[in-house]
Amino acid sequence: MHELLLFASVPTHQHAELLQQLAGLTAMQPRHCFERRLIFKAYRKPGVANARVGASQDLQSGDLQRVNKMLNGGMFYTQVVGPIQSADFADAGVTDAAANASANANPNPVNPDPDTDTKMDGMDSESSIPRSAYDFDQQSWQLEFRDIPEAGTRSAVTSRVMATAALPRGDIVPSMNAWGYSFVTEYLVEGDMFIHNDIVLNLHRVLHYPTNPGEENQPRRQMPTLQQMAPLEKSGSYVLQASMMVQDGSNQETMKTASQHLFGLREQLKSAVRLEMADRLSLDTRVK
Amino acid sequence: MATLTNDQIKVLEQSRQRLAQLTRSLGSLIASLNQSDPLPPWSSLQSQASIISNNLISVSEQLSDHRDLLSTLVAYPGPEYPGRTQANTLEQLLRTKLDPRVEDWVERGRIAGTEKPPPDTFAIANPSLAATAAQKQLTEADLAELWEWAPIEANEEARRRNWGGNFTLEEREAGIQNVVTGLRKQLEDDEEEEEEDEEEDEGEEEMEIVGVHRKSGGNGVEFDIAPHHAHPVQPVVPLSDILRYMTTGRMS
Repeated sequence: MHELLLFASVPTHQHAELLQQLAGLTAMQPRHCFERRLIFKAYRKPGVANARVGASQDLQSGDLQRVNKMLNGGMFYTQVVGPIQSADFADAGVTDAAANASANANPNPVNPDPDTDTKMDGMDSESSIPRSAYDFDQQSWQLEFRDIPEAGTRSAVTSRVMATAALPRGDIVPSMNAWGYSFVTEYLVEGDMFIHNDIVLNLHRVLHYPTNPGEENQPRRQMPTLQQMAPLEKSGSYVLQASMMVQDGSNQETMKTASQHLFGLREQLKSAVRLEMADRLSLDTRVK
Repeated sequence: MATLTNDQIKVLEQSRQRLAQLTRSLGSLIASLNQSDPLPPWSSLQSQASIISNNLISVSEQLSDHRDLLSTLVAYPGPEYPGRTQANTLEQLLRTKLDPRVEDWVERGRIAGTEKPPPDTFAIANPSLAATAAQKQLTEADLAELWEWAPIEANEEARRRNWGGNFTLEEREAGIQNVVTGLRKQLEDDEEEEEEDEEEDEGEEEMEIVGVHRKSGGNGVEFDIAPHHAHPVQPVVPLSDILRYMTTGRMS
């Protein structure tokens, strides 16, 4: 599959306005979503990893075949993406009432209730670890492979080969290690999604987890409060990504139609944001 | 008294046909104006008008091309003409002077045709004609004055209205909290760009409406983050770095 993309940087003061404009354009309410994104990096020479079990070639599912193909193609960064709910964040659950305000110097300013506003980063006292309904073992994951965008395309659209495959739930690191991939880092993508005809519009930004020692080398099993997450872009700006998937990337006709649709959208949004193709090397997924 | 040659008869016949065409198209315009209610669309009126004008051009060409022949022709009734039954037509054919109404038309046409008629003669002969003539003619100076006046006046008229914004004046007067927009977000009732070149009183009006927003809205947070770009913050991290981080987990 191919993916055609256009990007735009949206300053924070324009965010609310653009949400309204997109809601009007697409005639739908924004769909707010959170995604955990784990970045994995290949450390093995391609071709070594083999996910086949015994001689049961015929039993390989389509997904498994695709995973094999993705992972053995070369040395790439890949992403493992897990959707989460806003209820999965720590502040959505109930905190320990014993963790009162006197024990903590970091009250949560957003929570209006004085009894429960004492959520901490969970480091100085056991009782203040926030609880949430988040269950890491039930977290669903999807492997997202993205190739480096095609070079020298004549049209002003970022176009790249893409593939996704479902992964088992829960702790994904052992499986990824077996395929020759090591965990690099993780971040959270927070944003809103719109669908406009055949174009998916994502208005999102990257959030960092609060750094706790000992948690950097594996995916987090607990979610912090949303307020503890810090945007990567300090001014709080967003990225607008317009994407379209094309099943058959070798078909010039459909690729042309798809990019024309994207250009049409770019024209429609011209007065609000400037959608452009991304710098190819900034989307380089090859391991160097 | 020579009889007409075939060519001359042909010319007469052509003139008759063109006049008949003109009459037909005029008749159809009158009929469509009379019959259709509401009036026919402007496009059809315009096409009919252009047909008529083409007909007029062809008639006038025909008449001026054969001016020599037509002005020397004399009509007289032949012995076999049915004078009793067609007396009216006969009288029309044998007229030596034009019908008084037709004479009026011709006069008006001549005035319109000549650039600037001597006003006195017409004023004495026919005051109404002189009036129509004066109405139609604007001197160069008058035209220049009109052009100087019109754009300013139109601009001032436009400035009296507040273009842009999410609500119409009628909706504001009825109270914007009653407007059903179907949106979950609160619509702001002003836009910064438009605001800048508005007059003072316009600004006061906007303030009141903002007040209504506060009272009725109930969700002050949305109001606060609404698009008031008093201090626009440009992103610090370039887009390519964000994308690079999203791809590889590193900024460089």
